Amino acid sequence: MVPLLSFLLLLTSAPASPPQATTGRIDFASQIRPILTDRCFQCHGPDAASVAADLRLDVRDSAIDDLARVPAAIVPGDSAGSELLSRITHASAKRVMPPPESKLSLTDEEIGLLARWIDEGAEYTEHWSFAAPIRHGAPDTEAGAAWARDPLDLFVHAKLEEAGLAPAPPADPATLLRRVHLDLTGLPPTVLELDAYLRDEGADRYERAVERLLASQRHAEHMAAGWLDVARYADTFGYQSDVGMNVWPWRDWLIGAFAANLPYDEFVTQQLAGDLLPEATQETRLATAFNRLHRQTNEGGSVEEEYRVESVCDRVETMAGAFLGLTIGCARCHDHKFDPITQKDYFSLFAFFDDIDESGLYSHFTNAVPTPALDLPTDEQVTELSELEARVAELEATLPPLDPESDSLVALDLPVFVDFESPARKPNAHYVLGGEPAAIERAGGVAYRLSGENAVAFPGTGIIERSEPISVGLRLCVPNDAQVLERAVVIHRTKSWTDSGSRGYQMLIDDGHLLVALVHFWPGDAIAIRSADPLPIEAWTHVAFTYDGSSRAAGLKLYLDGVEAPVEVIRDHLTRTIRGGSIGDLTIGSRFRDKGFRGGGVDDVFVCGHVASDESIAVAARGGAPLPESLPEEYANALAELQAARERRDRLRDGIRQIMAMEASPDLPAARHVAHVLHRGDYKNRGDAVEPATPEALPRFTDEAPSTRLDLARWLTHPDHPLTTRVQIDRLWRQAFGVGLVPTPEDMGSQCQEPVHLALLDTLTRDFVDSGWDYRAMLRRFALSATYRQSSRASEASLTGDPDGSLFSRAATTRRSAEVVRDAALFAAGLLREQRGGPSVYPYQPPGLWQEKRGVVYPVGRGQDLTRRSMYSFWRRTSPPPTMTMFNAPSREVCTVKRGSTSTPLQTLALWNDPQFVAVAAALGAAAVDAGGDDIGKRVDYLFRALLTREPLEGERNAMAELLDEQREIYRAAPAEAVALAGFDLERAVHPVVADAETARSEPVDETVSIEVAATAVVASTLLGFQDVVQRR
Amino acid sequence: MNQVTPMHEDLRIDRRTLLRGAGAGLAGLALGETPPTQANPGTARQNGPHHAPRARRVVHLFMSGGPSQIDLFDHKPILQSRNGEELPESVRKGQRLTGMSGNQASLPLAGSHFPFARHGECGMEVSDLLPHTAKIADDLCLVRTLVTDAINHDPAATFALTGSQIAGRPSLGAWLSYGLGTLNPDLPQFCSLVTQGKGGQPLYDRLWGSGFLSARHAGVQLRAGADPVLFLGDPAGIDRATRRRMLDAQHRAADAMFQETGDTAALDRWNQAELAYRMQESVPEAANFAEEPDSTFALYGEDARKPGTFAANCLLARRLLERDVRFVQLFHQGWDQHEGLPAGIRTQCKDVDQASAALVTDLKRLGLLDDTLVVWGGEFGRTAYCQGTLTPTTYGRDHHPRCTSMWMAGGGSRAGQIWGTTDDFSYNVTENPVHVHDLNATLLHLLGIDHERLTYRHQGRRYRLTDVHGTVVRGLLA
Repeated sequence: MVPLLSFLLLLTSAPASPPQATTGRIDFASQIRPILTDRCFQCHGPDAASVAADLRLDVRDSAIDDLARVPAAIVPGDSAGSELLSRITHASAKRVMPPPESKLSLTDEEIGLLARWIDEGAEYTEHWSFAAPIRHGAPDTEAGAAWARDPLDLFVHAKLEEAGLAPAPPADPATLLRRVHLDLTGLPPTVLELDAYLRDEGADRYERAVERLLASQRHAEHMAAGWLDVARYADTFGYQSDVGMNVWPWRDWLIGAFAANLPYDEFVTQQLAGDLLPEATQETRLATAFNRLHRQTNEGGSVEEEYRVESVCDRVETMAGAFLGLTIGCARCHDHKFDPITQKDYFSLFAFFDDIDESGLYSHFTNAVPTPALDLPTDEQVTELSELEARVAELEATLPPLDPESDSLVALDLPVFVDFESPARKPNAHYVLGGEPAAIERAGGVAYRLSGENAVAFPGTGIIERSEPISVGLRLCVPNDAQVLERAVVIHRTKSWTDSGSRGYQMLIDDGHLLVALVHFWPGDAIAIRSADPLPIEAWTHVAFTYDGSSRAAGLKLYLDGVEAPVEVIRDHLTRTIRGGSIGDLTIGSRFRDKGFRGGGVDDVFVCGHVASDESIAVAARGGAPLPESLPEEYANALAELQAARERRDRLRDGIRQIMAMEASPDLPAARHVAHVLHRGDYKNRGDAVEPATPEALPRFTDEAPSTRLDLARWLTHPDHPLTTRVQIDRLWRQAFGVGLVPTPEDMGSQCQEPVHLALLDTLTRDFVDSGWDYRAMLRRFALSATYRQSSRASEASLTGDPDGSLFSRAATTRRSAEVVRDAALFAAGLLREQRGGPSVYPYQPPGLWQEKRGVVYPVGRGQDLTRRSMYSFWRRTSPPPTMTMFNAPSREVCTVKRGSTSTPLQTLALWNDPQFVAVAAALGAAAVDAGGDDIGKRVDYLFRALLTREPLEGERNAMAELLDEQREIYRAAPAEAVALAGFDLERAVHPVVADAETARSEPVDETVSIEVAATAVVASTLLGFQDVVQRR
Repeated sequence: MNQVTPMHEDLRIDRRTLLRGAGAGLAGLALGETPPTQANPGTARQNGPHHAPRARRVVHLFMSGGPSQIDLFDHKPILQSRNGEELPESVRKGQRLTGMSGNQASLPLAGSHFPFARHGECGMEVSDLLPHTAKIADDLCLVRTLVTDAINHDPAATFALTGSQIAGRPSLGAWLSYGLGTLNPDLPQFCSLVTQGKGGQPLYDRLWGSGFLSARHAGVQLRAGADPVLFLGDPAGIDRATRRRMLDAQHRAADAMFQETGDTAALDRWNQAELAYRMQESVPEAANFAEEPDSTFALYGEDARKPGTFAANCLLARRLLERDVRFVQLFHQGWDQHEGLPAGIRTQCKDVDQASAALVTDLKRLGLLDDTLVVWGGEFGRTAYCQGTLTPTTYGRDHHPRCTSMWMAGGGSRAGQIWGTTDDFSYNVTENPVHVHDLNATLLHLLGIDHERLTYRHQGRRYRLTDVHGTVVRGLLA
């Protein structure tokens, strides 16, 4: 990696000067680098595989290397002698750069800049975001000091002065109160809060308000809601079937983390590696569900490994997007074209996240939580479980010795035995599927040869739960067939392979060996053993296994030709039921979408519901049925008691909630012990092995090679990390101020232009680390700053000198999120039901949206579940709540760090006609009538204060009062219309049949009141269409 | 620099504030956040076209599930003569299969049960399953060699419609909306219509989503029933006159705000509301078939009288196209015949054959076919071998990405063209493959767009519908 290292080493540390357009020295970072990355790096950048003409323009050495090239691409100080300039100005289409087929070109101005930069010496500087942040002294001017309330204001003021601007005057108190309420909690102040605030004469009323808001539950919820896009949180797996995945407990963790003001370094560490912390708890393990929120599929026929690789890649890319502010997905297939992230770097990061015992597919036929799964027992369950565990342990320890002399014996059930000899099958003993097996001769009798598609099944036999013992044996003849030797189903009681996570139990040929497993969900919740020796090929072998009901691999024994065989333990972690999920009958020879025992011979099948003795299996192996058996009564009773205790314990465990989480596994198959570069990112196409490592071009802080996700988290949260803290400060700033310090938070890489306020960003970054990564303290500083308190009203000077607002010469008027639009309206109308956490709810959405895409009915909620905060709305990735996506919420299929801010007529339609907003209008109408009585102006005032937290302008009041008055006349002539609107009830709109029955019993409606309420509701509905409902002020 | 840049996306705030700074009055308001009005149709934001378009509108009939090319358009007699024989390894060449049939002990060839005949002057081979489509053979541009990368429904459908298997990219219609803007601001510029009650492979919002483009470019689902567009209808107690009064009051209030503060935001918002108001009338008008003569239903089939059927959606599509909706996408589920193919595909063809052909015929009659591109096809093809057990009466086919058939009509596509050849087993392409990226490049070309120049900057790079691939297939152009 010499080029990349030299790239970093050789970059001189010229101090970044402000960009200058026409005069003064050219600034590489702001004027040249953007041109090079955008127009040249595609072929002359960091992607080693596609460097054209061996020329890299991202590395100064390569660009000026006159040994290798005459003339050199860049001759510092001599643009006329530089090949680069001659090529970008070349008249010939064959010679000109960028080549015409790239559809890229350079303007004359850009060519001029490049020429001047070369003439000035062609100095490179390190890209701002890859250098460690340093603290800057706050610029101190008299005017700045007079205005500032926080050091950050001094930075802002200094830039304003440079631009010849002054800050905007402070926002009026009501506007500021609304702004800070919505920014910090996502909900507006109530009319009462507004009035109290305006009456409050204390000089610190604003500070107290901020303190109150930051300490509120609402604040924690609002912070959590903002993280859900980043974490691509959803309630369903995504892809086509899009089944529910029950990950809301992680959302509860998230709210708790913000409520507790969890320091950001711990916030990062717990989510990435909470399972690996020395002091790991259930909470920190729960945090790691962050890495499992990616999409998963259960589409029939999907290749398991393909989607497992997708899952790991998603973890890597989400980590990079969330914490590094880098989009590194490009480097999955090739070295990054613009950023110094190589494909090797990508898969070195991949290696950190490829450490869990997982399947690439979730189960279609069961609702098993894909492994690794974390138990989330309630306190009562913890207590009860430990008691039941103790009881099992005690009974296991006190099993009486098996007394061979005992004369009080209990006979065990006779084994089922089928030898295929009788041409007419015994009724109910067995049947065939998928065509008759070929009858072949074995030892003078009849055996079956299977096709790989057909099967022999045994109804009502061998049905066990994991607490119950079983023994199964048969004689088999393994064909010399590479595919069969690689994998073949011999006998099983399951529905399918990946489609059901192999739920049940099974005996397979696995790489020529015999494998026996009991499975809740393969691979993470199962016990499995495998014969140490391969099976004989093309020879009849008697195979059998016994299982003792212990849920432990040690409770499994394997026999070959009647003798217990040495085995290796493949998995030893069975914690949940092995039944359910459409499991069929015990079956020999094939199963749904798996590899059958093609050409295999089978004979002499036995099954019994106890652990067959060595002797009995030896007898069966020699020929015939296993022996009838019995046990001493005392022993049998103790065994029955143990089994009952295990059953009670297992039943309790099966009822404990689980969630997908990270758990580094020692059990990974050999093929996964080392990660590999995947050519073109393709799961089938393995390249060189890679060790876990952080990207080479980014700084290291220790000599020790990182090996775990915890090491990665420690690297990310190192105080000198150039990206992690900058990304978070930018995110917090964006949340508080409406726009960020960095223009492209989704890309802090080399395409990201240097922020105007880099010195401020870096100083805040240092403050943040010094404060112990205290995000709440940072938000407090922001909210209390003079910058924050400015009016959003733009002066002519501010518009001209700071058109995009990036100098913060006024408060930003950005768009409110979909959640805030809905929640604030419900809250203003007194309809929002505030309740922290818990499972997602199903608020109103137009009927049929799920049905027509997927054929499932949306289980719309009842009562107060219809009006919880939007962050609790059930999020179906393939059909998210329409009122959210209409207002720019993403689908949450992938990590999203910035939402769009579009405005469409569909949004207006929703605010008018979505029953949720109609309910808001009706409720507000009633409240305004209560508050204003007969005084129409007072009603209008109330509506403005409730919905918009302000008094109307005179002209607004008149317009709305006029509307109310007109509307009242209309409704007097048509009272039924008024009753319909005034009496609008969300519950009744959602569940009309049930609700009508209830209404029939309720009191008659007062038409006079309805007319007043409806006319006022029309005004409320009109106000919902106002700009400030969707826009920050 | 001749790069296409997103206009509204980045300039929106500046424009408004600058307009305001320049003292612009009401005249400039429509340029704010709102789509262009009738006064300046489509001119306010065009990232294309890059050359004279052949098509102005597209109707895309998406056959979700993967129709069997072997039973519809790609006639392979050898499959019939060798019915039941094992698929030769020389044909398969070790290429991957899905997990559904990949573990089958045997892969027997399955000949189609449906006879084929040549149709039209072009002699296009079409099976008896599609008698109406066969009649318009000379209007069709048939591609028998469409190749995709994906082998499962979700990634394949996502790939076909967004140019990427990875979720999060804009769909074809969203790119067109972004690139070409609207022709009629009173209607959604990109409408998606789903056949009701079909079941089968699920659909997902992302297939007509805007991905990383602004939500404004997302397809708007037009649904059978009272509210063709979500929340279109006014609630009980608010009639059209009331809505009008509300808008007028909002206008007065916004004007008061403008007079007082000079801020145009409230007026922008009101302008937006006026568009919504117009949409409340123009959408139901387009969706109302009451004025359609009986001859229409004779053409499209009586099913077209039943809202939500494929036939009704075809008729609705024609009405939307007549009103200059840029892109209409129909989704018809149920083509996933892993088993029981003969019966299943018969039902499917009965659903779509007549109406698909009627749409082409009707557009031609109205003079719209010249500049309206009709596209018909699914996400992948189906295997020559039988999935499950082959019996004399039935067979099934698994997913097959290496070739399938699709057709286009009108909009500058070459009528009567039969493009590409597959091997004797309809397994691999032997001549003139058309990759999904090539098809998309060609579609964009017909709409006047250079697929390499319609780009959007996101996450530090330029994105295209065709990623870094795609070649316009000249042979498909008229």
